[in-house]
Amino acid sequence: MNLDWSVVWDNAGALARGTELTVLLAVVTMVLAVPGGILLALMRLSRSRLLSGASASFTELFRNLPLLLVIYAAYYVLPLALGVAFSPFVTALVALGLNVSAYNGETFRAGIVSIRKGQSEAALALGMSRWQTMRIVVLPQAARRVLPVLASTWVSLFKDTSLVSVISVGELAYTAMLIRSRTFRVLEMLTAMAVIYWSLGYPQAKLVDWLNRRFGVSE
Amino acid sequence: MSLDFSPVLQSWQFLLGGLGLTLGLAALTVLCSLVLGGAIGLARCYGPAWLRLPLVFYIDSMRSVPVLVVLVWTYFALPIVTGAVLPPFWAGLIALTAQIAAFMAEIVRAGVESVRPGQTRAALALGMSRVQAVRRVVLPQAVVRMLPAFGSIISIAIKDTAIASVIAVPEYLNRSQTVAGESFKPIEVYLTAMAVYFVILFPVTRAVDIAYARLAHLGRS
Repeated sequence: MNLDWSVVWDNAGALARGTELTVLLAVVTMVLAVPGGILLALMRLSRSRLLSGASASFTELFRNLPLLLVIYAAYYVLPLALGVAFSPFVTALVALGLNVSAYNGETFRAGIVSIRKGQSEAALALGMSRWQTMRIVVLPQAARRVLPVLASTWVSLFKDTSLVSVISVGELAYTAMLIRSRTFRVLEMLTAMAVIYWSLGYPQAKLVDWLNRRFGVSE
Repeated sequence: MSLDFSPVLQSWQFLLGGLGLTLGLAALTVLCSLVLGGAIGLARCYGPAWLRLPLVFYIDSMRSVPVLVVLVWTYFALPIVTGAVLPPFWAGLIALTAQIAAFMAEIVRAGVESVRPGQTRAALALGMSRVQAVRRVVLPQAVVRMLPAFGSIISIAIKDTAIASVIAVPEYLNRSQTVAGESFKPIEVYLTAMAVYFVILFPVTRAVDIAYARLAHLGRS
């Protein structure tokens, strides 16, 4: 076994750009999926059967599909269904966004439901409107409970961005595997890829633990 | 846009075989993760102090590295280290187990820690040995609380087997790719795949939700 780790340093620039794209994908997906999740949660809790049914079906569908399949489906179905060709990056955002929105929707719903009913009843009795009750009483408290869960969804999302490498989005996993097949330095490149993911993911996982201790609700 | 599902119907046996492999891989992964993760979780809670640090390091590492990376590394890089070539299925099983066992270990730990320490102290005060206290007092309550989380491990395992398609495990998604490529009907093939995965996964998540509602109060102490 002869190893030549210089291949990692020679391609450090490409790996850094891949890492950048990984972070960008995760950030943009989350920026889309937080409002998406709030919308889904409010729809789910609304009095309209139609809205709550639509939200429930959406959530159940994407919670029960492997993300990799959603990525492939988005890649092949979107352009033909809409008649527009999207870049792989946009396709990846759509697939990741749908998936994470569904999870966020459940998270927000659970957070809102976890605030005792007596509180919103008291707010309504004080003459607040339904919307005021939501905004002033329920949501600020729900936000604290939602935060640790949202953080662990973030870590999952950060890892899941690696899956969009299959539709050749040039993020970290794709870049590392491309260099691997170009240089045949398999062990070196794959280990470098794992180490980069690890060094970015490990502090995040620890941060999630801290958030859980700090904000987590224990019954 | 007209849909033509005939390529899917023509290769139903091929796809069904893939589905069998998906479910077989998921079942084996769950089984191995249960054993390995259970052992790691218990060792972390009750094992010697020197063992705790490497176990926590392993668990947190698996939480911070994507499944895809573990799969690809196990399949392509591990044989270079060990010198033994792994068939895709076994590489998939090893990688998925390595990941999911870490989650299982966390579930076991959370379950064990959720039983108040006063109960263990009371059991010890009654003259039980440590092993007896764990086996008779802590675990029966902890296991009930772990059940819903264990159910979600099953659905995670089924979903993660799809990622094994990347290392050419001929499971359902991989065979769908083959059929899509040969028939030039990706939309029909992937829509079918979505329906198939949903039909398998929906009852599992539903059962987990029901189990949670039914069992949550049993674990209360």
